[in-house]
Amino acid sequence: MKWMDGILIGINTYTFVKTTKAHHMKTMKLALLGITAVLGAFTSYAQTADEVVNKYLDAIGGKENWKKVSSVITEGNMSVQGADVLVTATVVHGKGSRQDISVMGMTGYQIMTPTGGWSYMPFQGQAQAEPMTEEMVKKGADQYDTQGALVDYKDKGHNVEYLGKEDVDGTECHKLKITHKSGKEETYFLDPASYYLIKAISKNNVNGQEVEMTTAFSNYKKMPEGIVIPMSISLPMGPGMMADMTITKVEINKPVADSTFKPSN
Amino acid sequence: MQRILLLAVVAITATNLHAQTKVSSATFGTMEARWMGPGTMSGRITAIEGVNADSKTIYVGTAGGGVWKTTNAGASFKPVFDKYCQSIGAIAIDQKNPRTVFVGTGESNMRNSVSIGVGLYKTTDGGDNWSRVGLDSTEHISKVVIDPSNSNNIYVAAPGPLWSESKHRGLYKSSDGGKNWDKVLYISEKAGCADVSVDPQNPNTVYATTWEFRRLPYLFNSGGSGSGVYKSIDGGKTWKELTKGLPAKPFGRVALALAPSAPQNLLAIVEAKETKLYISADGGENWKEQSATLNVVSRPFYFSTLVVDPKDHKRVYRPAFSFSYSDDGGYSFADASNEGGWVHSDHHALWINPNYTNQMYLGTDGGVYISMDRGATWIFASNLPVGQFYHVAVDNQQPYRIYGGLQDNGSWVAPSAAAGGVQNGDWKAIYGGDGFWTIPDPLDPDIAYAEYQGGNMGRVNLKTLKSVTIKPQAGSNDAKLRWNWNTPIHIGQNNPKNLYCGAQFLFKSTDKGTNWTRISPDLTTNDKKKQEQENSGGLSADNTSAENHTTIFTIAESPLDENLIWVGTDDGNLQYTTDGGKNWTNVSANIAAAGIPAQTWVSSVEPGRFNRNVIYATFDNHMYGDHKTWAARSEDMGKTWKMFASEDFTGFAHKIKEDLVNPELLFLGTEMGLFASVDGGGSWFRMKNRIPDYSLVRDIAIHPVTNDLVIGTHGRGIIIVDDISPMRGLTAGILEKDVHVFSNKPVPLSSGKFGDGGFPPTGGWTAGNPASLPAVQYYLKERVMTGDVKLDIYDAAGKLVQTVPGSKRKGINKVYWNMRMTPIKPAAGGAKMDYGAFVAPMVMPGEYTLKLKVGEKEYTDKMVVVHDEGNKNFSKEDLEARYAAAMDLYTMQADINALISSINEEQQLLKKNGEKVKSDKVKKLLRDYTSSLETLRATLLATKQKSIFADEEQLRERISEVYGAVAGQESRPSNLQLERINVLKGQLSTARSEHAKISRQYSDKVRLALSKEGVKTPDALKDKTGN
Repeated sequence: MKWMDGILIGINTYTFVKTTKAHHMKTMKLALLGITAVLGAFTSYAQTADEVVNKYLDAIGGKENWKKVSSVITEGNMSVQGADVLVTATVVHGKGSRQDISVMGMTGYQIMTPTGGWSYMPFQGQAQAEPMTEEMVKKGADQYDTQGALVDYKDKGHNVEYLGKEDVDGTECHKLKITHKSGKEETYFLDPASYYLIKAISKNNVNGQEVEMTTAFSNYKKMPEGIVIPMSISLPMGPGMMADMTITKVEINKPVADSTFKPSN
Repeated sequence: MQRILLLAVVAITATNLHAQTKVSSATFGTMEARWMGPGTMSGRITAIEGVNADSKTIYVGTAGGGVWKTTNAGASFKPVFDKYCQSIGAIAIDQKNPRTVFVGTGESNMRNSVSIGVGLYKTTDGGDNWSRVGLDSTEHISKVVIDPSNSNNIYVAAPGPLWSESKHRGLYKSSDGGKNWDKVLYISEKAGCADVSVDPQNPNTVYATTWEFRRLPYLFNSGGSGSGVYKSIDGGKTWKELTKGLPAKPFGRVALALAPSAPQNLLAIVEAKETKLYISADGGENWKEQSATLNVVSRPFYFSTLVVDPKDHKRVYRPAFSFSYSDDGGYSFADASNEGGWVHSDHHALWINPNYTNQMYLGTDGGVYISMDRGATWIFASNLPVGQFYHVAVDNQQPYRIYGGLQDNGSWVAPSAAAGGVQNGDWKAIYGGDGFWTIPDPLDPDIAYAEYQGGNMGRVNLKTLKSVTIKPQAGSNDAKLRWNWNTPIHIGQNNPKNLYCGAQFLFKSTDKGTNWTRISPDLTTNDKKKQEQENSGGLSADNTSAENHTTIFTIAESPLDENLIWVGTDDGNLQYTTDGGKNWTNVSANIAAAGIPAQTWVSSVEPGRFNRNVIYATFDNHMYGDHKTWAARSEDMGKTWKMFASEDFTGFAHKIKEDLVNPELLFLGTEMGLFASVDGGGSWFRMKNRIPDYSLVRDIAIHPVTNDLVIGTHGRGIIIVDDISPMRGLTAGILEKDVHVFSNKPVPLSSGKFGDGGFPPTGGWTAGNPASLPAVQYYLKERVMTGDVKLDIYDAAGKLVQTVPGSKRKGINKVYWNMRMTPIKPAAGGAKMDYGAFVAPMVMPGEYTLKLKVGEKEYTDKMVVVHDEGNKNFSKEDLEARYAAAMDLYTMQADINALISSINEEQQLLKKNGEKVKSDKVKKLLRDYTSSLETLRATLLATKQKSIFADEEQLRERISEVYGAVAGQESRPSNLQLERINVLKGQLSTARSEHAKISRQYSDKVRLALSKEGVKTPDALKDKTGN
């Protein structure tokens, strides 16, 4: 709600500094989650679930094309009242993922690899990257699956359930529930015409807290590599409010230095 | 008036369905409702169950607000049952696999206002997804018990229908996890099963109580030969009735509990001629009567909860009218203290954490309470917005206030918007008892009329909360007055001086209820056999005015004529007068002719506001076992009636509301949903709009200024859909366009109505505020799946002011432009965020061009921004002065960031090229250059700050401070702000000179040196030196 007020009211005089701090922290957190969600979408993940999964995979470029994806670098911009929040996500299949977020002239990052993860959020004065908890690392494998969980999902240890149809903003969508090996749960809502993912709800239990996030996807584009990617991601910010992220650049299979997945400070 | 959708609808009802765009809730899906709550007074809680393994995941079932789940022991709750029936009777968690949960719909606290369920639901994923697994016609489910040794064995106690005889009652059992059900204990069409317990040590031992009960609109009966206490030792296959030591039959309702740690110990509260507590220590074979306090034996039909501590069989809890506990197995009881604050009376649910039995959760008629000391004191959970309103009204304040009365929770008032969002603390209780009609006096903002059950009404001074009793008394020649439980109070819609209320007669006052005139004869059927409420209750007398009958239930003065008044009664009469009450015409025969059963309650009347011959009405026949949605319109003053019909309709009807502007737009509230029609009732759709699908909608108001739809729900508090004007404006023509941008009214330049006080809300329930700026609204025929949607705003000179991302949903979309320019992109490299990066000056009044880009297409419209004349503290001149100063600062913000960026760039180039250099001397030169730049840079932005608690301030921070203040404020800049701008301008200019000086000092030398080293001079360095 505070966030919504912030968007609508603009920045107030006296409370300027403290409210913006609070607002922007939230933006950053959401942006990072958002980028993870984008990867979820790309990286995607058995009428039976398998039929729906296959149609979905075909719609987004086909399983074979996705299996060729070894790295993805995306740049995105979230426009908040005309101001930019820039997010870059770098993912190398099986090796690691990194999201950099720039806001108000500062840049923070989050890294996840099979052996460790780090988070550096200097916005509130954090001076050094902090390691992620063991549990988070254990649950972080989805973050560096560039193919997406649904490609060979059984081999990856995930479970998929078809839950019938459900209305999303007037569209009767196919509903898939993906239970990741890590325990994370995702519900996909697929457009019955295009089989594109319209909306995803993820639920994760991290550090004893249940974190739920709803993300909407649109503006699907076909890449030269044959895969199809949503170029717009919306994160709900409260009733009727969304923060929209536009993907401005996508690079597939570009070499990524190993140092990318090491904390630099 | 717009001709809404008639064409489309005619076509839809014809043959070619797919060719037309159908209006549905999704068309208006972007109009998401605000849940006003409040949480300060909550609603009736009917079931609480926790996950034993973690004891912090708890499900709360409510009388009319669905199921709420907490995963943090109550710090926060989320609704998990919003697509289904909202009346909850019982919850059971499979403790072996706690993500499997059963919810029995249809509460079983069989009061007059109890709602109705539609069967049993199951989830296997902790509440994310539910499916109905049967028992669809039971209407009420009081308990679900899962065999602790075998999760496939499930017992469901179904008392069954309250208002009719039915075969769908008894004890049901499934042996396959809920797929198939057998009725394992059935008494009769009159008697169902009220309670069931399974012995955890011998799970084939099952105890059940049966109950014979029945309500009529005017009478309640609890008790009969069908009530009894039963035991099975073969998992429900065969039963024997337990009688030894129990009183003589007939029984009423029996609450039964076994001690989980020593299950041969049983307790039972048996409603009988004399209701008493009985104890058994041998598995129910023998019972012993115990003396018990009034609380233990009070109102057994309503208080049926009895719980034994999971570990200590001597510790017994009796949540009832108040909270009682026993330490000696039920021989004696003590009552909870109010040390931690008042605990709402009337208790129906208790969950004890088996891992730490000091901790428990209590469900009352006013919400959930948490105890950490075995029930001696209680903490209120003020974050469950499940209040049960009967009625809602609004006034003309700004922001307008909301008035309403709630079951068990009195009458309350709150603003519709408040600084920081409407919170619990914004609500004010103005009258006690059960609350019903709570009506503001349109002519006196300090006065409201409120009541408690049975017509006990008062005129309340809203400032002092002192009240004067204004209930009319029987005149010298009049019979005893009969007041409905929910007595109507009405203010004239044509002449707001007229105050009405109704017993069997209609009364009118023109002096705020001080003096009354009876303006009608008995408008009811005056059927004497429906007036024997003294005999209500059955075995236990229960006459609380809840069964008062043959009374007036709804009153409406025509908005077009104060002499035209409609009155509906609870026994099927609908009458009107056209001469202010001298003569009355009863149209009940005409209603019957339209197919509506006789005796049906007239639940609401709505005289048309566009045509005096038009009358809308809803009829509620559920008290005779008929759940049909009865709603109708007459266009000839009640002579002939046309029923509204829709496949979407569910639940008996409470309220119909005609829009204030568009006569084709109608709203219908039922026990199971809110429905809307945009074609005058020809077709209807269920309104979702973040409103639970099967909300118990008791009342509907539309605000004449804000166009808000204000809904009084019986279980989810007040729900507001802010600004329904798009529902008025969507014509058939627009509906068939791919994209349509709705025209805007001139928008006053404002940064919003409210500040936020600086602190976010803590605890409780926060409803937020309506959007404080008007939205740019557009219609999309289809969801946009490929291509982007955005809104570009241009000023009169054709300059792009700001770009706002657009939503892409099918139907109405909204985007908000904050009437500001685009903020300056910040330069990187600071140790602190540039708060100026989110600041931009507000634009000036004028005409702006909106370009909505949908994929490759562009749609253009205008927006006129005007000075906010409503803000008396901010004149046009002030606005101009602010603009000038803010633009100065905007430029400075651009300049400082440009300067920092160029220094950053130079330093990077120096670093990069420095790596190619071999000569130590040149290396040193480059180092000196870099370090001179760094010395300057360090004065331009914070570079050293290590923590937000060690604030560093350099030039950018100094500019940001004034910039943020000036651009953000609705005020002329102060003298010192203006002076400061000049000082900072000077400092900025000095910094730029210093940069130029450093460049002059080093650039030639560096260029020369680098070229000697064979390194090509970087362009950026050249440019910056001016060479």
